Amino acid sequence: MSAEFKLYNICKRYGQREALNVKELEIEGGHIYCILGPNGAGKTTLFRIMALLSKNDEGKMWVLGEEVNWNKHQIVRLRRQMAMVTQTSFMFEGSVYYNVAYGLRVRKMDKASINKKVDQCLELLGIKHFAQQSARSLSGGEKQKVAIARALAVNPRVLFLDEPTSNIDPGSALDIERYIRYINQELHTTIIMVTHNLFQAQRLAEKVYFMWEGKIIEHGNCADLFRAAKDERTKSFLQGETVF
Amino acid sequence: MDIIWQGLKEGFLLILSLDPKIIEITLLSLKVSLSALFIAAIMGIPLGAILALKEFPGRRTILNITYTFMGLPPVLAGLVVFIFLSASGPLGYFRLMFTPTAMVIAQVLLGFPIICGLTARAVMAQPQEVFDTAATLGASRRQAAWAIVRESRMGIIAALTTALGRLIAEVGAVTMVGGNIEGETRVLTTAIVLETRMGNDSTALAIGMVLLLIAFLIMLIILRLEKRAFKDERRIQIV
Repeated sequence: MSAEFKLYNICKRYGQREALNVKELEIEGGHIYCILGPNGAGKTTLFRIMALLSKNDEGKMWVLGEEVNWNKHQIVRLRRQMAMVTQTSFMFEGSVYYNVAYGLRVRKMDKASINKKVDQCLELLGIKHFAQQSARSLSGGEKQKVAIARALAVNPRVLFLDEPTSNIDPGSALDIERYIRYINQELHTTIIMVTHNLFQAQRLAEKVYFMWEGKIIEHGNCADLFRAAKDERTKSFLQGETVF
Repeated sequence: MDIIWQGLKEGFLLILSLDPKIIEITLLSLKVSLSALFIAAIMGIPLGAILALKEFPGRRTILNITYTFMGLPPVLAGLVVFIFLSASGPLGYFRLMFTPTAMVIAQVLLGFPIICGLTARAVMAQPQEVFDTAATLGASRRQAAWAIVRESRMGIIAALTTALGRLIAEVGAVTMVGGNIEGETRVLTTAIVLETRMGNDSTALAIGMVLLLIAFLIMLIILRLEKRAFKDERRIQIV
């Protein structure tokens, strides 16, 4: 598989504060990646830059084979190959159907194709009976399922997950994990995930990047990193979190 | 107290009798205020959204001017339109002075900053997540901006109701540029002023009741639309 993302010397500052300084990062297609690190480590900043929601101040970046020049047409074209699910996924005012169909509507698909695709996605996530219900009236777990169905509807090549299960009960979280695995294994979608849940990272991720104060200080195979992290900061973070 | 009772009684009778004069000035009031609201909305909603979403030099200044003009005194709006439309004014050639068109122009001046300013506020109050969600689902910048405006509907409806409230009850500007000519530019508010000056307090109060009823009916229609748009919205419950 080719590299979906290549980042070199990516830097992001908020005023005087350097929020991100990534020397090198490569994401290969078809895998599940996990970005770990304490609060304020720069995970979300990195995520937003990779999802083309925020501009980097310095450095070069290749996304899905193209060097990013932030031309508005290029950004929309690249974004249309990605999707994102966040910890409190925003639901547009309207029904579950409206939300899941949104990405297809902005692509100007015909109504019959939209109906078919939305039905498929709702069916897959087991939420077809909610189709006409207001998306905002659903519980946290149900909303996350809608967010995943909405992301799946656009057939993304890359799916970003920002703590997708942090606000939902353990049962729903396991459901969501099952869908994440399915999306990666059956649809071959590259998944890049931020999570604070180390058990979840171990269950899902193949490769892990560990961040500290805006920098990637360690990365590698998930099992190896959890078994024998080299950096002291990674070790203490993994041990601390594992103990609690 | 007698005047109030008399006014209420007369008001009911006026409404029930469908007095042709009252119907005429009521229809003109509606025509002027709704036309002004429509024109102000056509210009104010898109401009408010642009001011909220687009970065450009002078944006902050334009916003501040808009907020200042939200409190524009009606007589001042009337005076500006008067200067422009009077026979010696730059637009005097069009002979619009003392016509309903002049009244609409004056009311647009009053309604536009309210709709523009409150729309800008409503759009700016939307969280970043609206754009992020639309963008990560493949929306172009224009489509994402539309999604943000759509999410601001509640605030935009509030802007329209606020503007309409101001326009339908406005008297200074319409008197100045309309002249309160019977059968031509007399509206409910100017009729109230006239009746009061003539000492017909109870009649003035009766017309006031008609005005209130009209305002109530229009607000009812807007609120029903709002309710339909947000029928599934969860509301804060204080128990």
